[in-house]
Amino acid sequence: MKQRVLIAVAAAIFAAGIVGCLLLLFAPSDHNKVLIRRDGEVLYSLDLSKETNRTFVIPYGGSSNTIEIRDGRIRVLEAECPDKVCVRTGWLSSSAIPIVCLPNHLEISFASGNDDIDAVAE
Amino acid sequence: MSAKRLAELAVLTAVSLIIFIIELQIPNPFPIPGIKLGLANIITVYAVYHYKPYEVVLIVAVRLLLGSIFSGNISALLYSTSGSALCLIGMLLLRRVIAESHLWLASVFGALLHNTGQLLAAMLLLQTTGLIAYYPFLVVSGCLAGAFTGLCAQLIIPRLRNIHLKK
Repeated sequence: MKQRVLIAVAAAIFAAGIVGCLLLLFAPSDHNKVLIRRDGEVLYSLDLSKETNRTFVIPYGGSSNTIEIRDGRIRVLEAECPDKVCVRTGWLSSSAIPIVCLPNHLEISFASGNDDIDAVAE
Repeated sequence: MSAKRLAELAVLTAVSLIIFIIELQIPNPFPIPGIKLGLANIITVYAVYHYKPYEVVLIVAVRLLLGSIFSGNISALLYSTSGSALCLIGMLLLRRVIAESHLWLASVFGALLHNTGQLLAAMLLLQTTGLIAYYPFLVVSGCLAGAFTGLCAQLIIPRLRNIHLKK
């Protein structure tokens, strides 16, 4: 009997997960402010609408991430990490889903309303 | 612990380590950290149902440590350890409720807990709540991967009886 309840619970979690995925995938970004953070500290604060096309390297210990900004979009072009998850994430597109490089502790995301952009100098 | 028991644990650890290394060679199509099949957990769920809790912890702890060294991804150790800790606690408790015939169900919950622990560790380490956006994807993949590894374990159990790994 308990097992049936647990199966129902698992099915409910699964269904909720699918709904959550769909909601997140279709959450477009509403602004151009992008923050690049490491361990909670803001490394770069960028306005994609004003950025020129460029690439730059963010070093971390012995490894690094190469960031590319092109046509008002941002992505990780190259990474010296084992899994390359951040590279394969591609362009930052969803306001909800950040680009993350766990080995290098790097997070690239659109700024939310709570992030005080103006307080940050590059 | 008898020498026979120790040898059994060592064999299980070695098998799960081999599965782990082989799985690393399979390209992962999903660009989301934490999503993987976790085939090595076939051994984990089997062990949860056939060995004492501390023996299961030994198997998994050695697998995690050696796995991170062999894969060269030491930084992943923190995430996998916190995920595995939560997963093992949950599954060892669920063992009392879920019969072995429903191993896949225990495996699903184990995978969900594993992904939850991993994500919590990553959020703590990177000090960001933005990662929570990955959670729904980890939930869906955890359910599917957990069910798959659980079913694999259920297929393995009768075969292991035949080769007298257990007395």
